[in-house]
Amino acid sequence: MDMAFLLRRIVIFLIAAVILSSLFARGQDTNEFRRILAAAVIAEDGDAQLEGIKQLINSSDELVARALAAWRLGELYVLTTDADEKIPILLDSRLDEEGRARAIRIRDGEYLKGETGEEKLFLASDLTPADTTSRLRRTIKTTLDLYAMANPMPRMRRDAVVKLGQEQNPDYLPHFEARQKIETDPEVKRALNEAIQLTRMADESAAIRNPAIIALGELNSINSLHFLKQFRTTATNDPAKYGQETIQALTASIVKIENHIWWGNVVGTVFRGFSLASVLLIAALGLAITFGLMGVINMAHGEVMAVGSYTAFMVQGIFGTGLMFSLFGNPIRIKGFGLTGTGFDAYFVVALMASFIMAALVGLLLERGIIRFLYKRPLESLLATWGVSLVLQQIFRHTFGAANVQVDSPSFLSGSFTFNGSPIGFNRIFVISFALFIVYGTYLLLTKTSLGLQIRAVMQNRNMASCVGVRTDRVNMMTFALGSGLAGMAGCCLSQIANVGPSLGQSYIVDCFMIVVLGGVGNIVGTVTASMGVGMTNQILEPWLGAVLGKIIVLGAIILFLQWRPAGIFVTKSRSLEG
Amino acid sequence: MTQSFPKREFLIVGILAAIVLVVLPCLNAFTPPESAFHVSTFSLSLYGKYLTYAILALGINLLWGYTGILSLGQCLFFSLGGYALGMHLMLMIGRLGQYKADIPDFMVFLEFPAKYPETGGLPPHWIPFKSFWFAALMVVVVPAVVAYIFGWLAFRSRIKGVYFSILSQALTYAACLMFFRNDFTFGGNNGLTDFKTILGYDINSPGVKRALYLCSGGLLLLTYLFCRWLTSTKFGLIQRAIRDSENRVLFSGYATANFKLFVFVLAAIISGVGGALFVPQVSAINPSEMTPAKSLEAVVWVAVGGRGNMLGPIIGAVGINAFKSYATHAFAEQWPYIIGFLFIFVTLFMPKGIIGLPEQFRTIKRRIQQRNKSVDTPAESAVATTSEGVAK
Repeated sequence: MDMAFLLRRIVIFLIAAVILSSLFARGQDTNEFRRILAAAVIAEDGDAQLEGIKQLINSSDELVARALAAWRLGELYVLTTDADEKIPILLDSRLDEEGRARAIRIRDGEYLKGETGEEKLFLASDLTPADTTSRLRRTIKTTLDLYAMANPMPRMRRDAVVKLGQEQNPDYLPHFEARQKIETDPEVKRALNEAIQLTRMADESAAIRNPAIIALGELNSINSLHFLKQFRTTATNDPAKYGQETIQALTASIVKIENHIWWGNVVGTVFRGFSLASVLLIAALGLAITFGLMGVINMAHGEVMAVGSYTAFMVQGIFGTGLMFSLFGNPIRIKGFGLTGTGFDAYFVVALMASFIMAALVGLLLERGIIRFLYKRPLESLLATWGVSLVLQQIFRHTFGAANVQVDSPSFLSGSFTFNGSPIGFNRIFVISFALFIVYGTYLLLTKTSLGLQIRAVMQNRNMASCVGVRTDRVNMMTFALGSGLAGMAGCCLSQIANVGPSLGQSYIVDCFMIVVLGGVGNIVGTVTASMGVGMTNQILEPWLGAVLGKIIVLGAIILFLQWRPAGIFVTKSRSLEG
Repeated sequence: MTQSFPKREFLIVGILAAIVLVVLPCLNAFTPPESAFHVSTFSLSLYGKYLTYAILALGINLLWGYTGILSLGQCLFFSLGGYALGMHLMLMIGRLGQYKADIPDFMVFLEFPAKYPETGGLPPHWIPFKSFWFAALMVVVVPAVVAYIFGWLAFRSRIKGVYFSILSQALTYAACLMFFRNDFTFGGNNGLTDFKTILGYDINSPGVKRALYLCSGGLLLLTYLFCRWLTSTKFGLIQRAIRDSENRVLFSGYATANFKLFVFVLAAIISGVGGALFVPQVSAINPSEMTPAKSLEAVVWVAVGGRGNMLGPIIGAVGINAFKSYATHAFAEQWPYIIGFLFIFVTLFMPKGIIGLPEQFRTIKRRIQQRNKSVDTPAESAVATTSEGVAK
């Protein structure tokens, strides 16, 4: 038995030595790895095959990787020539009409040619696949994984390293260390360090194990928390084997990493709170102007937002691959510019402006057509605009379909980074900064321009403003268009983070009204404060109570809060009885 | 509005009541199904549903038309009443459900027996609803208590006008979200449905359907008479005074908040009773009945029919719902356009609704006559155009 084993080993060693010597003899050109692979494929001995495959880790040859992957799936073929020579081949992915493909010879990467020099074609079903065993497939997989550590994309390298580290296989250690010496990307370096420590953590010797555990804690390695916890359970069940020192180190590291995650969660919650608050703020700002300043209850406010979202959808279509919709039952197809990349990304800037203009136009129509007759009857403006909202919703449904439409984020808004394990999306950062931008813009407009002065004058005392020569009718029109335009921009913004569908407006309208009432009517600062408060409270309550219950509690809290301050957080002082 | 019961209105109400309470049920019961005059049980049940909506509309009218409080949460009270009776009907299914269990199907489905093992899966607050009379009491009490608490909070801090509308909308929205949750023990988004018996009788038999219809009609008549009486008393006078100028009433020494609270609770009870009759006839109640949109729709019925008048809301509720039933079959796609534009049109051009149309025509006629006259004396026309009073 022992003798047989020894013999096998010797044979393996000899084969490996032959392969290795051939490697040194002929130099490090890419064909070398191909030859090793070709030799391994046709090798009779299983162990020799494995040794051969393991050689391939340092290869960076595309063909070798492809061939290995194909081998694992049984798509690598061995062609036996008339001279009884075995040639491992790979079939080209392009097939001709009979399903045949050209064959690539692994040994040199050339297409297999017939006597006359033409490329030979093969049918996959005619060929014999190279033998595989489960052990072989496993080895190939490991090799491919290690091979992935040499991927030119840092992200792919990192993922490969993380995956390999979690296997805690000591065989990989030398590979990690070798890679660490040449790695330049900081993230991959960190991942390598984590992988090394994680692998060492599984070591039998406490002298290697304990520093690794402490190092993982120092690294705040969130990926290894699960392994640390599992190990602690094992260790506490058998303290004699693992020793107190290890258990202490484990506990310290776990506490440290959990602390790190806790901070990440706090920052994540605050960030999400800010982002929700910004969404509410953007949505409510237009309402703060139409309702707060003008006293008009526009129940179609949500639908005006949806106008903005659909405008973004249309602009996207025009910039991209074109769009189709039906206008009063007539299908209309608009051919797009077919832009990609930066050109396509620019659509969003155009969409922001277009949605402002479109929504402002809708607002203007609404004001001229309906609302101007109802300034003295605010309750009835509520009813009439609700009718408008029903009509608009149905128009969306007829024009763009009842299903949600897809609005793609421009590349600079998709993606995210993680802070202590909490994802922070670029689109949310954009929403927050956009909210700041339009609030500041609105503030400047209301306080620094003559239109703003007129708006405030009309809102404070319509008759007096009219007496001193302000054209109140025109100011009303402009104010309503401004409020609607802001709603349209809000809708364009929302298209980046929420679904765009006919009922988009309905999901925001109640919240928006509550925020304006809570903040104090006619007060932009109040609207900002109220949306911050509601957004934050919602996000803080959500993990404990779930989204729906959290929302219910916030609504209840607002109703109770208004008991204490019936006019909202910030009260506009007035001598009139109805305040 | 005159204090007495004018003869003409008496005649109209009498004829309508006779048609609704005598003729239609008789046509259902005593004519053969193939007769041209036959009213099918299905239609009768449908009319019964309209009548319960009319009760809801009367409650809204009492609140909005007479007191000037626009609540966008009346459907919440309607649904609360409906849920209270629905709970009883749910328990009366017994073992006739899909799962053949002692508890309602949805409780088996949502694994309540594991949550409430000591009662065999029935949440404790469901137990008293085994008694019909308790459920009937709750139909009144639950909406009243909710309305009292909310109204007390709102009127105490003088929340009025559009702010009250927005808050009541938020209330019904919050409740709607709550009822959509499965762990709120009221069946989640499926609500309560598949009822089998009421007071021991088969709920789907023509006789019971007819009885339920008669109950709805009778109750509508009673509610009508009650509201008619209430608004003609001194209380009704103060109600209308609050609607027209609350501050003057307040400064005259009336505690307007208490008056408003009373009307609000009363309207909630009326809505709740309407809801309780709605449930056995429709055989289902779910949270979509209490969405803010439903409440707004109910307000539309009142606005279209004509508020500040007792017949208008009934005409509006029955008329619009009958039209809706027809339209959603015949041209469902266009229905939102119709109701939307109807709403805009009514608000802009018919502030007094259908019932106010004759008066509006008379005003227009008078104005035209005056314009013809004013060719000689132009000053008069200016006075005439301002005479068209619009309720606040």
